[in-house]
Amino acid sequence: MSWTKVLIVDDEVEFAAALSERLLLRDYDTKAVYNVDDAIAAIKQDPPEVLLLDLKMPGMSGIELYRTIKEFNPSIEVIFVTGQACQNGDETIPREAFACVMKPIDIDELTKQIDKAKQSIIKK
Amino acid sequence: MNRNGDPALTPFMQSILRPFTNIVNAIRKDRYKSLKLRLFFYIGTLAGLPLLAIAMISYFWVFNILKDEFRDHLRWQMEDSQRSIESFLQEKLAGLRFLTNAYSLDELSDDTILHTIFAKFRKEFGEIVDLGLINAEGIQLSYAGPYHLKGRDYSNQDWFQEVSIRGVYISDVFTGYRKMPHFAIAVRKEMPGKHAFWVLRATVDVETLNRFLSSIQMKEYDDAFIINKDGILQTSSRFHGKMLERAALKFPVPAQDLSFMDYKRDGVRLEVGYAHIKQSSWVLGMVVQSTASSKMIELFTKDVGTLYLIIVLVIMGSVANSIITSSVVNRVQEAEQRREAAIAETEHTSKLASIGRLAAGIAHEINNPLAVINEKAGLMKDILQLIGDFPNKEKFLSIVFSITDSVDRCRTITQRLLGFARRMDVSLEIIDINETIKEVIGFLEKEILYRNVRLDMNLSENLPKIESDRGLFQQVFLNIANNAIDALKDGGTLAIATGKKDEDTLQVIIRDNGHGIPKEVLKHIFEPFFTTKEKGKGTGLGLSISYGIMQKLGGTILVESEVDKGSAFTVEVPVKASIDLRGL
Repeated sequence: MSWTKVLIVDDEVEFAAALSERLLLRDYDTKAVYNVDDAIAAIKQDPPEVLLLDLKMPGMSGIELYRTIKEFNPSIEVIFVTGQACQNGDETIPREAFACVMKPIDIDELTKQIDKAKQSIIKK
Repeated sequence: MNRNGDPALTPFMQSILRPFTNIVNAIRKDRYKSLKLRLFFYIGTLAGLPLLAIAMISYFWVFNILKDEFRDHLRWQMEDSQRSIESFLQEKLAGLRFLTNAYSLDELSDDTILHTIFAKFRKEFGEIVDLGLINAEGIQLSYAGPYHLKGRDYSNQDWFQEVSIRGVYISDVFTGYRKMPHFAIAVRKEMPGKHAFWVLRATVDVETLNRFLSSIQMKEYDDAFIINKDGILQTSSRFHGKMLERAALKFPVPAQDLSFMDYKRDGVRLEVGYAHIKQSSWVLGMVVQSTASSKMIELFTKDVGTLYLIIVLVIMGSVANSIITSSVVNRVQEAEQRREAAIAETEHTSKLASIGRLAAGIAHEINNPLAVINEKAGLMKDILQLIGDFPNKEKFLSIVFSITDSVDRCRTITQRLLGFARRMDVSLEIIDINETIKEVIGFLEKEILYRNVRLDMNLSENLPKIESDRGLFQQVFLNIANNAIDALKDGGTLAIATGKKDEDTLQVIIRDNGHGIPKEVLKHIFEPFFTTKEKGKGTGLGLSISYGIMQKLGGTILVESEVDKGSAFTVEVPVKASIDLRGL
């Protein structure tokens, strides 16, 4: 099985960088970007298979970004990563999103979700 | 949720309110007591005033009727006596006049003939003491009677002057020559053709008058007497002086034949009637103390039935009044208590909600740096595990592990906080309550097995399916069941029962025979962050969240507990969802 291409989008640089490194150590082809513009550029340049998306970011909310990305590349599976509750009355996670993981992350749980996402891509 | 229709406070609310309610009740009791008294007084006055007015009006009405009737009675009696006395006098006068016409002066001057006539007259008319003939010079020519009065000279006496002018005369009472109270009746006879006259005179004992008076029916304090125009008593009276004395009573000369007046003596109301006796200067007087007012009192005191009736009516009125009053005040009291309980409960709910929002905010803010710590420490751990041995590697590893463990602990707290605060998206579905519980028991099976807890399931068959949120309901049930297992000693019993509370409500009772919850703790168990568990084992949010969820689902949680005997949590869920859509 080839390495899964993962893109982390989070304005919390330290978090994203560290997570990216840890996933690399676990054999995921991981890249981290820290704002919305970079995220869109990165996806257009080299679309990932799985996207780890922060729910709240300056400039554009995670959900808006999610919709934008899905428009030009619906094949990307998105896992939301949030410091808030996943079930939130105001900003409901879209149903089509693959999963939602709460910060602080349990690395094993996260890798499990990424693997699942990868599998669902292969099935398609 | 529908709480207005539910008068009973949840035990939880009661336990929270107990310290206040004791104080408030004490103040309130007094307030309601005085309210009761005031209301009683107002209603009494309102009902009593018109009654009193009617009573007063009818009293005066009856009083006037009585007064008229009383006067009529008095008038009748007086007229009766007046007529008797008048006809008595008239009779004597007629008798004397007859004698003057039937006999000549010579015949009457003869003592023996006069004696015979006196005897006959007395036999026919009675009640005269003597009979005498007096000539125009005032000398008594002949006399028949018990005294020796022949030859007496009356020319200077008033009565003789009077009779010589008026022709007929009835004297006042006097003692005269014989020292015996009496009065005289005299008739003048003109000598035909001459300017001379003679007078026939009879005297009557006062006792006769007294007899007439005593025939008047009188009560103890009443009085009847005859008085002349100068105010001198002609007969003896009971209370107003002796015979021939001035009456101890102001007596106006009667303007009419018969008059009445009110009179006050020593503060006693008297009714005075007087009647003029024709052809004399006398006035028949009657003083009556038993007036209409005393008759009025008599009416009530004699007729005991009336008095009892009045007393019974007043008592019945008061009883009815107090029943009405207390039922009204009790209703007011109930309504106020219910309202206060509702307010207290609302306050409690909103307190939970604001604490929840605060907690969520904090949790979110903490989660981000926590995530950084977590990843950095995690990365350190990864690196340490990858590279070869170096001095103190084990120590570093253990430090990193304790960091990540601590982060895990923090995560438990923050995630629960978020769960506590989140606006729950209730997704309704039709669920079987027994199935839902069995699923939860599935999660707990390991724990139950490990702790050697006896599980006593008593699930009612044929319960209606309910409309609720499976996930939320399971969360509540899991929280309570977890607490129950924690409370149990190894080998204790966890009993779970489902059943119908009524047509619209199902209940799940989770009972343990563990250590129980002390009263002072029971008050706080639904408050957020309240926990009795060991540090790090409980967040103090489980029951608080559960309580919020059940409110949201239109149900409630009730708790009963006894120390060392165990606790019972009752979860009530409505069959048909009535979801409170306000955010928690």
